Amino acid sequence: MSQINRLKGGLVNRGNAMSFTWNGKSMSGFEGDTLASALLANGERLVGRSFKYHRPRGIFSSGAEEPNALVQLRKGAAQEPNTRATVAELFDGLEATSQNHRGPLAWDLMSVTDLMAPFFGAGFYYKTFMWPAKLWEKLYEPAIRASAGLGRLSKKPDPDVYDHGFLHCDLLITGAGPAGLAAAMVAAKAGLRVIIADEDFLPGGRLNAETFEVDGQPGPSWAAAKAAELADMPNVRFMTRTTVYGAFDHGIYGLLERKTDHLAESGGKPRQILWRVYTKRSLLCAGSTERAIAFANNERPGVMLAGAVRDYVNRYGVTPGQKVAVFTNNDDGARTADDLKAQEVDVSAVIDTRKGQYVAEAKGRRGLKAIVLGDGSVVEADCLAVSGGWSPNVHLTCHQRGRPSWNDEIAGFVPGGELPPGMTVAGAANGAMTLGAALASGVAAAKAAVKDLTGKSPRASAPKAGDETYEVQPYWEVPNLKGRAWVDLQNDVTTKDIRLSQKEGFRSVELLKRYSTLGMATDQGKTSNVLGLAVLAEAAGKSIPETGTTIFRPPYTPVPMGAFAGRARGQDFRPVRKTPSHNWAAENGADFVEVGMWLRAQWFKRPGEKGWRDSVDREVEMTRKSVGICDVTTLGKIDIQGRDAAEFLNRIYSNPFLKVPVGKVRYGLMLREDGICYDDGTTARLSENHFVMTTTTANAVLVFRNMEFARQCLWPDLDVHLISTTDGWAQFAVAGPNSRALLSKVVDDLDLSNEGFPFMACSECTVFGGFPARLFRISFSGELAYEIAVPARYGDSMIRGLMKAGEEFDVTPYGTEALGVMRIEKGHAAGNELNGQTTAAMLGLGGMVSKKKDSIGSKLSEREGMNREDDMRLMGFHPVDKADKLDAGAHFLTQGDPEDMAHDQGWMTSVAYSPELGHSIGLGFIKRGKDRVGEVVRAFDPVRGKDTKVVITSAHHIDPEGDRQRG
Amino acid sequence: MVNHTLTPTPFLGGYDQSIGGIRIRERHDLGLISMAIPLGDDAKVKKALKAAYGVAEPSATKSTVKGDVRIIRSAVDQMLMLFPNDAPNPVPDVKSAMKDSVWVTDQSNTWVVLEVSGDTVRDALERLCPIDLHPDTFAKNASARTVMEHMGALIVRTGDNSFLLMSASSSAGSFLHAVETSAKYAS
Repeated sequence: MSQINRLKGGLVNRGNAMSFTWNGKSMSGFEGDTLASALLANGERLVGRSFKYHRPRGIFSSGAEEPNALVQLRKGAAQEPNTRATVAELFDGLEATSQNHRGPLAWDLMSVTDLMAPFFGAGFYYKTFMWPAKLWEKLYEPAIRASAGLGRLSKKPDPDVYDHGFLHCDLLITGAGPAGLAAAMVAAKAGLRVIIADEDFLPGGRLNAETFEVDGQPGPSWAAAKAAELADMPNVRFMTRTTVYGAFDHGIYGLLERKTDHLAESGGKPRQILWRVYTKRSLLCAGSTERAIAFANNERPGVMLAGAVRDYVNRYGVTPGQKVAVFTNNDDGARTADDLKAQEVDVSAVIDTRKGQYVAEAKGRRGLKAIVLGDGSVVEADCLAVSGGWSPNVHLTCHQRGRPSWNDEIAGFVPGGELPPGMTVAGAANGAMTLGAALASGVAAAKAAVKDLTGKSPRASAPKAGDETYEVQPYWEVPNLKGRAWVDLQNDVTTKDIRLSQKEGFRSVELLKRYSTLGMATDQGKTSNVLGLAVLAEAAGKSIPETGTTIFRPPYTPVPMGAFAGRARGQDFRPVRKTPSHNWAAENGADFVEVGMWLRAQWFKRPGEKGWRDSVDREVEMTRKSVGICDVTTLGKIDIQGRDAAEFLNRIYSNPFLKVPVGKVRYGLMLREDGICYDDGTTARLSENHFVMTTTTANAVLVFRNMEFARQCLWPDLDVHLISTTDGWAQFAVAGPNSRALLSKVVDDLDLSNEGFPFMACSECTVFGGFPARLFRISFSGELAYEIAVPARYGDSMIRGLMKAGEEFDVTPYGTEALGVMRIEKGHAAGNELNGQTTAAMLGLGGMVSKKKDSIGSKLSEREGMNREDDMRLMGFHPVDKADKLDAGAHFLTQGDPEDMAHDQGWMTSVAYSPELGHSIGLGFIKRGKDRVGEVVRAFDPVRGKDTKVVITSAHHIDPEGDRQRG
Repeated sequence: MVNHTLTPTPFLGGYDQSIGGIRIRERHDLGLISMAIPLGDDAKVKKALKAAYGVAEPSATKSTVKGDVRIIRSAVDQMLMLFPNDAPNPVPDVKSAMKDSVWVTDQSNTWVVLEVSGDTVRDALERLCPIDLHPDTFAKNASARTVMEHMGALIVRTGDNSFLLMSASSSAGSFLHAVETSAKYAS
């Protein structure tokens, strides 16, 4: 079969024939065809099955509004379901298949559903599958999902890539039809930066579908000339294949550009780009969408919108049928007949409701054969062109809750209420339904935008066009309906469903939509909304404006998830931060863990070690026995300078900071405004007016942000300046009894003796013969320990130097797990303890909230509720049976108490296996903890089904006096 | 004392490649110094800057240049100076040149600096940078702090078709990947 419906003329390139397959059958079309026009050219009328009843369906429209012709394109991983054939550009080698049927398309086994239609009215799931409740998930839902629905996913990773981008303009014009092109010419010539976007691959909008003239030229030629002229202007970005899918806050619009959908291969380039467009003004010229009329079987393949019939005939040189009838309530009908006749297509009847005529019923199951008129006469037709009038495409005007208003003259909704700021509307989208009016309104809107933005009034007049007549008489549903008449073709909603919903109490249009599914899914009711409302209004005995309308949300047409994700997939899901010793760690058996965006070594595996515990236990033991090194660069570092730096810190930290001597580090506690502890760390005073703060890795940004707020907003009178240096310094903890000996081999000319550089000392110094460094004597492990920092780009060289210097001490690198074990052994609080519910008193640090000064959170920490009678305390826990393994999250119960929340005594926050003690240990909060040392309680863990006896100890499992770190 | 010499490793190994006519080059030869203006000392700092580097104080969203030295306005009371440097600690020299009139912090290791250039460089950057880089809007020496692919960034226009892009040094690899991908996709 070769293009039996192809006519003369059209805008396709007959010099470039393209072959494609439809359900495995080879067919041909031309460059410039859509899949829909090519299928029609090849005589294919049946292209799919409906969502619910599996009714045969054909191509209904020629654009983005298509509810029926949803097909699957390509195959394998690149397979894409639910693509509207009317907007799928034909390319050589395209493989397309129909969807939602079992067995061949023409003999769908599921079409039996249609016979049971009387049972399947609106809301039938809710009414039918009431009991037994447990069968819903197991039986009913899977069965319903299998029989209803659209296409299928390949379930393989999408092989294409997608991108995002940002554009800026003075004026964004949505739609390159007559109004959009005319407006763009005015704005661009006036010097505005213009972006004009159209979802079609061929600019011109309805000009390409009709036979109108503009400025004495055929419409398509005028459009092509203007589009070319605009594309050549340096201040214009002309974007075809681009849908403006959403109007967002502050003049920002979302655009989806389809870059390679019309190509067989994307060649590694993004298939689609999601643009965020920042605009000063926008002009919506999105045109209008034709709607149908409700009569019996009005969705048989071959029944089509009249404007689409003209589009296929004039633009694609394709007739949708050999014998076409026209059914209309407006002046478009006669034009359809004229255009068909001009191409020598047989027009069997023109039925005009304004003359009291109507179509009662369509005949023919898998394709239209005839129509029965209201007077009972039968007219032969294999295509019926229906026009129930046109509805302006107001969608984008509603994206910020603007409500369209009803216009009787055109029997449709026009933009109303509050439009997105900066937006104006022109052309058919604003109810200017004739070509002359559309051109004039485009020009007027552009002139207004130019005046608004530049203060100048450009001289421009609208292109000349014949002002065809457009007279419409509302006509929604034929009388004496015999059988079902469809309103929403995509969701199989009939006029009967709407009446039933109304009768059942779903009177609000919003409820009707959700109950009946009218206007949902991929087409969002573009062809059905107004008709549905009209039927509802009639059923309720109200007018359409009284009935109201649902409004539209983004996106205007479907946007693939891949486009939203853009590049953020797999490894590129988010940025990766690496420590300066990363490469060295990778060379030395490190296993990395994600800590926020950071990758940190969690342990270093050595030959012979069977599991992570082997590595971690060894790292702890070797560090405590000799010396270990850990990259602690990830901790937040904030450089604080200013004449009032000390005063500032004194207000930020709950404990005093005013009198920290130069050359000393102090541990500090930060409270939130409400008095809860949120971060802790150390701050070193390098000089009178210069401090370096460390924060936890997790809170580095939050602490900086809070301090910047305090500096700028709370105390702008203080001279204090903050800048992050987290990434600037490679910082290593060197811990263990041999840490001093190791560093003595590294640090130049600094007395590291306990007297010369005692616990909590700090100094700027040099290492390895003159390289700048900073040394801090601080300890998270509880051992004699230091942290040494060098500029980050020297970090790789530094870790290699430190390891070399440590060889004689059998130095070990240790990761975050060993770090965690040692801090739990030592009883230092970390994220598990600072969980947003912790007071200083709970941590045993109540004395660190100074009453002698004001600091953030100090006053509210004195509230009654913050100083609980139960005196919850951070304590240590050992299993009574040393072989027992403890678990974080277990709750404590006093022995003999029932297992309920009323008797809850607290919870375990952190646990570890202590190599030094040889058994599992824990930290946790327990009521009156400090008075209960030695008491045995239950660590009750119903989630894991465990109940372990534990004895309460000091949180400092090792070296409670701190002799090691001070030694 | 152990025999070891500390050697610097550029964050991107000194990356320098062209993709689709866009050159992407790591500028590891630059020193970066943050200079914070003490409260109330604006006039004093303006003079010191002129005396030390012969350069005017940049206003917000701008940078000023004299020879090899570029000063970017990075915050209300903060400037960032870029200058050729290979010393591990450039702070003392800057302090003394500025006669201790500003609070100085070394930022040379905090940021990775990429220079991107080429006739079509804006085609790549529009995939990455939310700022309007139209030549008339983002004039030569304009600067802006922004976010690129979820990473905090600073962009400066240095020539007709050349820009400096700066982001955190710890995520230098991800930042380069984002810039490379933009150049690849745009070409």
